[in-house]
Amino acid sequence: MAIDKNSAVENARNDLAKRLNVNAADIKEKSVEDDDFPDMALGAAEDGEMSGQMITSGWRIKLEAQGKTYEYRADKNQVRAYSFKGKNYRI
Amino acid sequence: MNRNNFFIHLALALVLILVAAFAGQLSRWRKQWRSHIAIVPATEKKKPATVEDIALSETRSFGRPEILVKFKSGVSQETIERLTAQRHDRVEDRIENVDGLDAIDDLDNADAATVVSEYQQLPEVEYAEPNFEIELDAAEGPLVPVLPHDPQFTDQWALSNSGQRGGKQGADISAPLAWATTTGSDKVVVAVLDSGVDYTHEDLVENMWVRPASMAPYHDNELGTIDDENGFNAIDTASDPMDENGHGTHCAGIIGAEGENDIGIAGVNWKVKIMPLKFMNAGGFGTTKDAIEAINYVIDRKKAGVNVRIISASWGSTQRSRSLEDAIRKAYENDILFVAAAGNSTVNNDRMPHFPSSYNVPNVVSVAALDRNDQLARFSNWGAKSVAVAAPGVDILSTWLGNAYEEKSGTSMATPVVSGVAALILAEHPRMSVDDLKKKLLASTDPIVALKGKTVTGGRINAAKALE
Repeated sequence: MAIDKNSAVENARNDLAKRLNVNAADIKEKSVEDDDFPDMALGAAEDGEMSGQMITSGWRIKLEAQGKTYEYRADKNQVRAYSFKGKNYRI
Repeated sequence: MNRNNFFIHLALALVLILVAAFAGQLSRWRKQWRSHIAIVPATEKKKPATVEDIALSETRSFGRPEILVKFKSGVSQETIERLTAQRHDRVEDRIENVDGLDAIDDLDNADAATVVSEYQQLPEVEYAEPNFEIELDAAEGPLVPVLPHDPQFTDQWALSNSGQRGGKQGADISAPLAWATTTGSDKVVVAVLDSGVDYTHEDLVENMWVRPASMAPYHDNELGTIDDENGFNAIDTASDPMDENGHGTHCAGIIGAEGENDIGIAGVNWKVKIMPLKFMNAGGFGTTKDAIEAINYVIDRKKAGVNVRIISASWGSTQRSRSLEDAIRKAYENDILFVAAAGNSTVNNDRMPHFPSSYNVPNVVSVAALDRNDQLARFSNWGAKSVAVAAPGVDILSTWLGNAYEEKSGTSMATPVVSGVAALILAEHPRMSVDDLKKKLLASTDPIVALKGKTVTGGRINAAKALE
């Protein structure tokens, strides 16, 4: 089922809450922008993952928690945590 | 010498010089006339003539009779000259490499057949024959670009850039000129290692590989027996390789959407066989392990007799895998070319490699992307040492899921252009080795200013050159 922008932000917020062990309500939405990513893993491939090298449109989601900014990337197929503590995660 | 005499002598000297010069030029014209064979200007490339193409004309020479006479061994030059002089003929030339062979002019302009007959009757003559004019068959001419009637062909700037939508005229792969030589062959199989292919797409269905009825379903010791009638699905071996994303279908259309079928677009190959391999899911990503499984499938099918010579790989990552590299090397050992996307991160692959395109394996051809103005695409990776060649990869129209067509951008789109050109080469040269195929591809580019120092070849792939 295709993911829309709102559900992508919601998924990202819930994921970050889990990773930081905080309440989702304490995570602020800093920005959500339409963007083009370099590949079909949205430039956020996990270890051992290969992706199609096609420019892919999606959303760059920036969330704020505990005074830090965290980036998520999403499109209609997926939501990914970008460089969370140096690693990418598909959620 | 008085002043008047001086001018008379000067005038005579000038007249003599002019006469000598004119006589010399006449001689040159005559020689050119006699040795006439149609010469094609360099700008009008002709297809190389085959033996069958060369047609001998009637027994006519070129305005005047000229014959070739082979005198018997021991006949002296004096005798030859006497015999020719008696017939008011002249020895025009001695053919040095054949003893006793002379080219003879008949100064009376008699019919060549008559002159031949005269000489054949002489006891000193071994044989005589007209000096045939050799010319290329009249039907043979400069290659004429071939344009398909597929309705959306005019939007395929990568194949024929007429300057549409602000592009640069000629910034394309010269596909119409290549098609004057070949539009591909259904004997050539190209494996599209991707998200699968919508093998029911109306513009692809005729060009899809299907396991021959005579060939047993695929068997792997670990995976068991798999029904690979329509290709191979490494994600779920129980399923077929139907594309759920669109990316693989797009790449397949670039290589081989059926041409001249009055539907949609034309592929680089109008006729070819696309073997779908699925290792990326609906999201367009997959695992290294599944990519390796699919490569092994291709190798096994090649060993079983399928003429699969190219793997088109429009994917990658920055993570190096020795296992994947080994699988690609195994493909090389089985004479299979591996064409791979250079990546879309606007980086220099010489410093920040992208895999599999950066593996140092002889069958790997790494491909960068160009836009419709012959500029390196804003996203494309490059590498003077690690990226072999560039091809159109921005706003590329091709097949999509559900009989649709979409424009997409990426080195993903440039890669199947090069795979397609490789397939055209194999259509013309089926036995070409993978080493020669790669060499041919890399020698078949148009130099592009924007690529200088950016790729190994510094050029855009040119399909017509690849078929020269």
